[in-house]
Amino acid sequence: MSDAVQFLTVAFLVAIVLTGIHAYLGIHVLSRNVVFVDLALAQISALGATVAFMLGHLPQSAAAYGYALAFTLAGAVLLSLSRHWSGRITQEAVIGVIYVVSAAAAFLLIDKAPQGAEHIKQLLVGSILTATIDDLIRLAALYAVIAAFHWLFRKRFLLLTLDPVRAKAQGLNVSWWDFLFYASFGVVVTSSVAIAGVLLVFSFLIIPAAIGMIYSDRIARRLYIGWTAGVLASAAGLGASYAWDLPTGATLVCAFGGMLALAGLARPLVTARGEERRRAMRRARHLLINGILIASALSGAWLALNPRADQPLLDALEAAQPAIRDYFLSPRERDIYASAANVESTIRGESSRIGQHERDSRWQGSELTDDEVRRLASYVQSFQEMQKGEQFVQREIRNRARERQRWAIGVPLLLISLGLLLVTLK
Amino acid sequence: MTSIRLLLPLLGLALCCGAAASDRIRVVATTSDLRSLVEEVGKERVEAISLAPPTRDVEAYEPRPQDAQKLRDAKLVVRIGLDYDLWFNRLLVHASPDLRRGGKGYVDASIGVPLLEIRAVSFDATPGHSHGAGNPHYWLDPANAEVITGGIMEGLIRVDPDRARTYESNRNAFLARLKPKIEEWRRKLERYAGAPVIAYHNSWPYLARRFRLNIIDSIEPKPGIAPSPSHLAGLIKKMKERRVAIIIKQPFEPEQMPKMLAERAGALVVPLAPSVGSVPGIDDYLALIEYDVTLLATAFEARRGGKP
Repeated sequence: MSDAVQFLTVAFLVAIVLTGIHAYLGIHVLSRNVVFVDLALAQISALGATVAFMLGHLPQSAAAYGYALAFTLAGAVLLSLSRHWSGRITQEAVIGVIYVVSAAAAFLLIDKAPQGAEHIKQLLVGSILTATIDDLIRLAALYAVIAAFHWLFRKRFLLLTLDPVRAKAQGLNVSWWDFLFYASFGVVVTSSVAIAGVLLVFSFLIIPAAIGMIYSDRIARRLYIGWTAGVLASAAGLGASYAWDLPTGATLVCAFGGMLALAGLARPLVTARGEERRRAMRRARHLLINGILIASALSGAWLALNPRADQPLLDALEAAQPAIRDYFLSPRERDIYASAANVESTIRGESSRIGQHERDSRWQGSELTDDEVRRLASYVQSFQEMQKGEQFVQREIRNRARERQRWAIGVPLLLISLGLLLVTLK
Repeated sequence: MTSIRLLLPLLGLALCCGAAASDRIRVVATTSDLRSLVEEVGKERVEAISLAPPTRDVEAYEPRPQDAQKLRDAKLVVRIGLDYDLWFNRLLVHASPDLRRGGKGYVDASIGVPLLEIRAVSFDATPGHSHGAGNPHYWLDPANAEVITGGIMEGLIRVDPDRARTYESNRNAFLARLKPKIEEWRRKLERYAGAPVIAYHNSWPYLARRFRLNIIDSIEPKPGIAPSPSHLAGLIKKMKERRVAIIIKQPFEPEQMPKMLAERAGALVVPLAPSVGSVPGIDDYLALIEYDVTLLATAFEARRGGKP
């Protein structure tokens, strides 16, 4: 427990630091309409790291970081120039090309290097759980410097992002400041991706900023909202990952996505006042009820059309309340079902007992001979076949129940849902 | 002068081998380990190559266009089977019928091996009776080399019956070298029997069985899916309670996670070689097992020395 608390705490603090800088950069990125720029910069820095690796530098060495940084800066130059080409093609297209070409180039290079593929994968997937306190401190220090730089020149950076035409009219050197923006952005992305991986960094960049922008037009308020949402989503994601035994990175990304969905759905309720608010509430209630009715109508129609197919709604109901199935079975069928389930679990227990016996015999007691191992393997195989047989019996009985439910549940469910739907849509 | 004297025999060797190459049996193995065992059985009668580079995850290998070319003049193919080299199926589709499953030039080296961790479901769509699939890392038990070389020998005899005696005696010579080695290796690791070990993936059950290692858990139970925080916390607890001395992994598997666990629980990360050629200097099958056994013995010894 204490170990889990320890590395979850570090991961949470890292997530807070990442939210801090990425929510801010995300506002720039969303306003500039260059959503995939972080993927492109991350990939180009991965290409730099790959080149370093090919030249014999260890990953995570200063030299490797230097190469990654140099490549990122070159990418920043390309991106800041791409604004001038965007009359004919959009900047997003250039970004996409940078992304795929640097990804493919890294693959080509790594193809020649032994043990390289895994390093590339690590660079992209990352693993926030293995972040150490040293990583955290380094990250926080670096991002504080970059944040200070952006704070110092905030007027120029914001003007450039929000109104490039006026920025140019005011005599601002657009290419130079664009380069500074992408360069600092690239440094951040390179470091974040090394720790958290591309998917997660993308979520940190886009989702809190998007939530902020849904709720407000003012930069400061957007930031506060984005930070709050990011911290909440990080806490929820890490908590869920621990509680339900899930991979942390993927859980965090889904938590961020869920947060965005929630924020989008709740917006009319939160922002509206008075009569408008009541109307929004009514609409939400309406939507919810109709959604449930449509789902149950579809489920009823599906059961009536194809009772033997997968019936997700009914499966869920029967798992919670087996009586729904048993009601449609004769006592004899119920017995067969119960005994098949019973035998299946006995067999499963038996074959896992054999497996455990074999595993234990690897290191303790007398060793099993090859023939004994073969015999156990064939037992396990036969047991697994038998298990499949028992599962087949259960499925068959369940299908019989389904065929009766077809008329007793499917058709009425469809009709009632459609009827209610007609009423509510009126 | 000296250089010429040195060169002459080399030149002769090159000439003789160049001449012999034409009637050598071309064998394509999916992995370097199988290639090494093919060479033990075929010696100078065969020209064996392997497809998947040993420094990477063989299961994730993507066949190259040239691989199909390599199969073109092959007389025999040897594969691991058990879903380990599923990608080979895609190449065999275009190969001659002799090289496909059931053909005389097809050897599935897993046939006859006492398999561990059997499961009934195989992803390989085999027509007829499926023999199921077990854990595919069976070459890491040196005793299984007897069955594997047996299958290879039968395959070679099928495609080149005139030299049956040669293949038999080559194999016997190999087994005569192998058997005392197995005893020697077992003696080396005997006193660490039952010492708890953590593995990155479940890649070592056969090695564990032969050398009596007690692999109590793995870091990534499902390949490719990052471990959850609760699994990691459980691992650390287990490692501390049972004083796990070493974490074994394949060289290409990620380093961060094992390193973190090792630091927290006071263990040693030992990158074992899964295949011939996966670490420089491991040039044949016997050298592979020798390397792993030596590394394990050294690691156990170091841990015992460090913590009385």
